[in-house]
Amino acid sequence: MRFQDAKPDGRAVVYAHIQADPLVVRTADLLAAATTVQRVLGRAVMNGESADPAVWRVMFPTLFGERAAAAGTPERDRSEAILAASLAVADRGEQTRSQFRGALVEALTERLLAERTNPVRRERRILFDGRPAEIHPYDVTVEGDGAAEAWDCKWGARGIKADVIHQLDDARAGAVSEGGKLLVGLVVFDARRSCEVRLVRERGPVAIEGIKLIALEGLDRLAGRRPA
Amino acid sequence: MFTTVADLVDRALAAFEVLAVTAEPVSDELQYVTDLTTVWGARLRAVSTARGAEAAPAGADAAMHALAAEAALVTDPHRAIDWLSTLPQVALAALGEAA
Repeated sequence: MRFQDAKPDGRAVVYAHIQADPLVVRTADLLAAATTVQRVLGRAVMNGESADPAVWRVMFPTLFGERAAAAGTPERDRSEAILAASLAVADRGEQTRSQFRGALVEALTERLLAERTNPVRRERRILFDGRPAEIHPYDVTVEGDGAAEAWDCKWGARGIKADVIHQLDDARAGAVSEGGKLLVGLVVFDARRSCEVRLVRERGPVAIEGIKLIALEGLDRLAGRRPA
Repeated sequence: MFTTVADLVDRALAAFEVLAVTAEPVSDELQYVTDLTTVWGARLRAVSTARGAEAAPAGADAAMHALAAEAALVTDPHRAIDWLSTLPQVALAALGEAA
């Protein structure tokens, strides 16, 4: 089993610019340190219609209301910063915001994994002797000796599709056939409950026990932390 | 007379139902929409069963009103599918519940 950079194509060139956008970088940094409810805020705002921050502050009383951390505390400041960054993403228009959200989940995954292990890489293919290489690269990989991982990242549970599940399972099986081990999984910026119903319907003949599912509530597990 | 947790769950379920209707034209995702309706409806009703008679937590009444209004703005069926997963998470957070 070996890792290789994906061959650059037109899509990759455009996508690289989105991945490097300062707004993606800033939002990923904020969400990496966020609580679960702050991440739900980010998801809702980036999926939402309203551009008025006051609407969202009312909708999240545990972040901005009487029950929230006091104004001026780091936790409250982070909530405000996530709200502002998420509104900026939502403001980019439907197609662009969709690309931003995908890049954001990858960037977030990269940051969280890097807290636990290294080296963490993006957009890499995995090659196995005697097997044709998959066309699509894996979003995020960990390439340490004896502890390799391959993650596919999705903004929503709806992005979990049969072809993604099959590709991950094929990679896992490929590593096993070479006497190695590859942890494969999905990182989804959506509730576990939604992901599970999707996964069960889309898995086909794949035994999903071999595929890790990291949903929004469990993102801190990527970093080896307990959920906040 | 105060607003109860059950009142707010009912309001969330009503907004959820509107989203499900908005999502209906996406025929390829009918099963997924049905699955989301089943599991999230059950989760919200479980909160109502456990805490329904409690007074709503501070800010939750206004939060649910804003959430329902936001959901009502969603007219695109694909966006509605996204919101079928998002709305319950926001509603549960307002009630101080985990997803």
